[in-house]
Order: sequence, then structure tokens, then C-alpha cells
Amino acid sequence: MASVFSREKRIVYSRKIKGFWEEFSRKKIGLLGLAMVIFYVLIAVFAPLLTPYNPLSTEQVAQSFARPQWITIFPQYSDLPTTEKFPLYWSIEEESELIQSYGTIVVAEYEAENMEIVAVRLAAKFNFTSIPPIEFYFKFTWGGNDIQDLKYAIRIALFTPDGTRYSPMTDIYLMSLEQAGGELVTVQSVNPFFRQRLGFETHKNPAPVIFNQTGEYKFELNIRFQPKSTAASGKVTVKDTECVILGQVHGILGCDHAGVDIWTQLVYGARVSLEIGLLAAVAGASIGILVGVVTGYLGGVVDELMMRVVDILLCLPFLPLLLTLVFLFGKNIFYIVLFIAVFGWQGLSRVIRSQVLSLRETAFVECARASGASKFYVITKHLVPNVLPIAFASLVLAVPSAILFEAALSFLGFGDPRVPTWGKMLHQAFGFGAFTHLAWWWLLPPGIAITTLCLAFVFMGHALDEVVNPRLRRRR
Amino acid sequence: MREYLIKRIVISLLVLWIIASLNFVIFQVISPISPEKTIVDPRMTPEVRDSLATLYGLKDPMSVRYLKYIKNMFTWNFGVSFTSLRPVVQEMSTRLPSTVLLLGSSLIGTILVGIPMGILAASRRGSKIDVLAIGGGLFTWGVPTFFIQLLFMLTLCYYASIWFGFQIFPASGISSRPPPTDPLAYMADVAWHLTLPIVTLILAGFGSWALYTRSMLLDALTQDYIVTARAKGLTERTVLYRHAFRSTLPPIATMIALNIPGIISGAMITEWIFTLPGIGRWYLNSMMAADYPVVQSVLFIYAVLMIFANLSADVIYGILDPRIRVGSRR
Repeated sequence: MASVFSREKRIVYSRKIKGFWEEFSRKKIGLLGLAMVIFYVLIAVFAPLLTPYNPLSTEQVAQSFARPQWITIFPQYSDLPTTEKFPLYWSIEEESELIQSYGTIVVAEYEAENMEIVAVRLAAKFNFTSIPPIEFYFKFTWGGNDIQDLKYAIRIALFTPDGTRYSPMTDIYLMSLEQAGGELVTVQSVNPFFRQRLGFETHKNPAPVIFNQTGEYKFELNIRFQPKSTAASGKVTVKDTECVILGQVHGILGCDHAGVDIWTQLVYGARVSLEIGLLAAVAGASIGILVGVVTGYLGGVVDELMMRVVDILLCLPFLPLLLTLVFLFGKNIFYIVLFIAVFGWQGLSRVIRSQVLSLRETAFVECARASGASKFYVITKHLVPNVLPIAFASLVLAVPSAILFEAALSFLGFGDPRVPTWGKMLHQAFGFGAFTHLAWWWLLPPGIAITTLCLAFVFMGHALDEVVNPRLRRRR
Repeated sequence: MREYLIKRIVISLLVLWIIASLNFVIFQVISPISPEKTIVDPRMTPEVRDSLATLYGLKDPMSVRYLKYIKNMFTWNFGVSFTSLRPVVQEMSTRLPSTVLLLGSSLIGTILVGIPMGILAASRRGSKIDVLAIGGGLFTWGVPTFFIQLLFMLTLCYYASIWFGFQIFPASGISSRPPPTDPLAYMADVAWHLTLPIVTLILAGFGSWALYTRSMLLDALTQDYIVTARAKGLTERTVLYRHAFRSTLPPIATMIALNIPGIISGAMITEWIFTLPGIGRWYLNSMMAADYPVVQSVLFIYAVLMIFANLSADVIYGILDPRIRVGSRR
């Protein structure tokens, strides 16, 4: 018997949903919104497949303010180069059985019987054929065991095809010798210290001068080390040596002020925005429905009290208060969602309450009450199911306002620094010179993304509202 | 009417008291950065610590501190700013005019654009202006105000200086430096500086007004008394303005009050973007400098502004809606 009943119920529900869908699918604007939301959900889900980079990494993939790569189809940008990486394959100039080269990895073993200086001289060549770049960097990772027992010096020299010698690192005694294990050393052309070392003024860019010719460039690496005690033995490795000439165009959306990929931030931003919007809206709507139904049905003192609370909440300066709370409690995404939900249910609770006020006078609610149904039963079985459609429309409309609030918080610099959000992108673009560099590829994408995602929910909510709201339906 | 007014004022004062208490709880009780930790440095000698605690009233029991706090808030005694060491009230008075100018002109501008557009849209349903009103309304829901402002700034300030050699509108500040001495020239200068902030605020806000007015008016136009008015042979104009629009005025007055928080947040971000020396920018800077007397006073002032707006909306509601004179609840 029970199973038959549940099947009937299932049929009723499926018919209801079918009818609802039929009516919703007639609204073109709603379908458009739904399609846009699905598009963003797909982007959010497949974010790791859409970009090879980590959204929070600060890896410099091209020079700062690199333009999008597709811009090279326009004639005035057609010769802008992309990033070129030259792995340095070392060859050993003076053969020694202690020193081995495995391509980009060099291993030098030593046994300190008489504390003699071990000198390693390596050379690597690469062919540079592009136009003069604006930035380049050179990096290597060095390490070894028992490093603290070593005195250690590294010298790099760069020879251009016409034989000019540049030496960015003359006898750098690596500062963190005490630190065992690997250490990444990056020599950047933007670093004023290294500009000086190269013999340039600190405000002069060495990159276009050094790489102003095409042909074979040669790197020379001199490593000298001396064990401090006779007991020491072990090996020193230099690996992942690479000379990177940063491109002036990169990827789908170019780079920000630090040369970090913008497309990656945009794609992962969709995740955060959707999560925040949906979580805050669902949490806020739950409070709103609960308050609206309970106050509307019970009335009396509870109603009066809750409506005064709503009045007060409507009088609160929402954004300034939220900023203060986030500032005091920590810039944490969880708090942000919580605060948006806690301060964002008043509107919905009023709508629900007015709906419940008319529902409680209907015949079926009175029947239920007359046949001895408890308040809890009436609320859960009769009132909540009947206000759910309207609540659902309001919930969809609450998503964009939550997204916009988070964007405003992040834009003002009060967002969670550990998550990539669109608001944070705009914050950085505004603060780190996107305007003076006219970096539209940095400013436009996050703003357009926020706008289109919010509009998608607004379109859906608008269509839903027309379907479920009896007042609007009657008027058509 | 008088009874209704008194009731609204009492409720407003009550709300103000609750907000002041909330402020006290946030900044003095639950805040992880309590004044004890911020002001009283652990390296200080006990005597200095003692005198500082006395100076800031930290030695009193919580109840006394609360009463003092409420009294200070209601007597506009906001204390001394930690960063500038000048009274908060004095600092505020130099910044309030700019904010009030921005808030007021953008609010009036939004209403002046939005409501007529809503009326036009409702009276010519399906026309281009109707589509524009609906589109503008939906747009308002979806687009962040600051993004519109950043776009305008990028094109009219930065790209313009490349294309035309000068900025059409200034990107920052409320007046040129040094400001013009002639008062008329000064006013023109301020207007030139405020054009972009105000126009962008209106652009971002007019849509919701148009949409709201439109839907209210469409509702009113289906009522029986409109049919009666039309049957009497009144002109469509009279029906629209004297009968239909008149009845939508009270909810629109309420709408103005409900929109104040949004306008305040919008103005705050606007001040931040365009570097206007107003309350919002001061608030953000003070927060980053942990200048609590300023932060709590500005929160309180914002609440006062909003309560004032709500109260005036209630009064207007009472004047516009004859049914209210009974004194019944909204």
C-alpha cells in the first residue's frame, strides 16, 4: 500500500516538474540565463584542463603586461615574440672524472683529502633568433649534501655572438650556504642589483642591449668550492639551468604586472564565484524561509519581534559593516560567505511572510488545523512546500547579489588572499598599473565575467519569477 | 498623523540605540583586536600602561563602559582619531560635504532618470523605451558599479589622453590642485571632477528604479478605478499621472529608503576609485590603519544617515498615503 502511495506521489511530482519545465522553457531569457550558468559551471569544473598553471602560483610566464597572444594577427603587433625557454645543456670544458654532466644537470663529486679547491668550468650554447626582448631571466637550482662544510662560489658569464662578455654574477657567495638541500637562484634582468653587476645603470634595461643580435649565445658557469674540513666528502649538483627570454605576448589573455597568466586566474575565479554565490544564497534563503514561514504563521509577539529585527537589518550600512567584520575576523572565504548569508535574508523573509499570511487563511490550512494538525506539521507539510517556488526564484536572484558583494569586498582588498577571485583580479589591476599600461586584457575579462555570470542568474531568476509568482502570472 | 510620526521616531531612536550597542559589541567586546591589545603595548612600563588604560577608560567595568559609550555616541562625542590625533567630529566635518554632495546628487539623478523612464515604459508597453527599462533594470542587478566606473575611467581618462592628448574627465580628486580661487570657477571645477563619479553611479542605478516604477505602474493600471477613470472620458495623461502614478508614490518612497544602503556602498567604492576625500575613503583608510574611533563613528554616522532616510520615507509615505493617517502598521 505504501509503495503505491509513493508511486502516486512520484507521478504527481514528476508531472509538477514537467509542467514547470514546460512553462520555464517558454521563456527565452530564462533559457539564455540557464545556458550561461551551465557554461560557467563547465568552466569551473574543467578549470584544471583549461590551463596548465596553478591559479595561486606567481610563476612568471611572460614579461609584465604581456598582451594576449592572438593580438599578433593585427599587423602592428605581428612581430611580438612569445616566451622562449632555452634549457642550458652543459658541456665540461676541462674534463675531470669528478664532474659529470647530464644535459641540464651537473654533478660534481669531491673528496676533501687535502682541502684543495675544486673548480668546475661549464659552457652551454643556445641559438637566439627573435627580436630584442624587454625582460629575461636566468635560473638554476643548486644543492648538495653537507653543503655547510663548503666554501662555495658561482660565477656566470654570458657571451653574445660578437664576443661581448656580460657577467651578471661575479663571485656570488651564495648567502644561504647553511641551508642544506636545493635552492632556486633566479637572476632577473629587472633586478637593479644585477643591472649594476652587468655594468648598466639601474634604470637602464639590459635585456634589449644584450640580446640585440641573433646568433649563438654562450653561457659560462664557473663553480668553485672548497671543503672546510678534511672529513667532508659528497657532491654538489647544479640542475634545471635555464635561460628564459620573456615574451611580449602570452596565452589567451596575456599577463598581469608580475608576468602571471591572467587566463588561469579567470578560469579558477569562476569556481570561487559560483561557490560563494550559491553557498551564500542557499544559506541566506534558508534563514529567510524559516523566519518568513514561522513569523507569518505564528504571528503575534514572535512576528512583531522578528519584523523589528528585519527593520534593523534593513537600516544597517551593509557593505561598511561587512568590511569591518571581515577585517576584524580575518579575510577568510568562510566568514565572507557566512556574513553575506547572515545579513542577506531580510528581503526574502518579508516576501515569504506575506505569502504565508495569505496561505494561512486558505481552506486546506484551516482543514489541517481543524483536524488537529500540530503547528510543526502545518508548517512543514503545507506552508513550506507552497512557498518553495517563490523562495526558489528569490534564491536564484540572491546569487548575483552575493557574487557582487564578494566582488566588491575583494575589489576593495578585503577578499581572501588565498583564493583566486575576479574581484581580486580587478583589485590588482586597479592597484598595480593596469590603467597606466592601458592593460584592457587585464581589466575587462574579470569585469565581463562577473557581469555575465550575474546576468545569467538574473535572467534565470526573472524567468522563474514570472513562472512561479502568481501576481505576475495573473497579469499576463 | 502625529501619533504615527511619534511612533516612527521612537522606533528610529530604538534602532539607533541597537546599532550603537552592536558597534560596542563588535569593537569593544568580541573583536579579536580589542583596544587593550591595540593600545596597551606589552613593552610599556606598568605606570604608563595604567595611565593609558585610565585615559581610554579601560579600567571601568563593562557596564560602565557601555553606558559611557552609548552616551558618547548620542552626544556626538566620537573621541580622537588614532592616526591624526584630532577629534573625529572635526575630521568628519571636513569630509562630510563631499560625501553628501556625491550621495545626494547621484540619488537625485538616479530618481530623475529612473522614474520618468519607468512611467514611459509602463505607458508604452512593448516599445523601445520599455525594452530599455527592462534591460537597464536587469543590467543593474548584474553589473558591478565599480566595473562601470573602471571602464569609464579607462576610456575617458586614460585612453582619451592618448587619443586626444588630454583627459576628458579627471581620474582622481574633487578639485584641481591648487583649487581655483574664484568661487564660481571652483564650483565649475568641482562639478567637472564629480561628473564621472555621479554619471557612472546614475548609469549603474537608474535601471532598478525604472523597472520598479514600471511594474508598480503596470499593477496600478490594471485596477478597477483606472477602468472607471477611463470610462469617465478622462485623457490618458490624466489617468496615468493623476490616478495611476499617484497611487504608486508611497511604495516608491519606501523604495528610496530601502535603496540608501546600496547607494552608500556604491558611493564608498566610488570615493575609493576616484580618490574623492569623502567619508567612505576615510573609512577604508582608517580601517587599514586600525583607527577604531574613526571606524565605529563612521559606521554610526552611516546608520544615522540611513535611519534619517527611512524616517523621511515614512513621513513622505504618511503624507502620500491617506490610509496611513489611522496610524496602522506598514
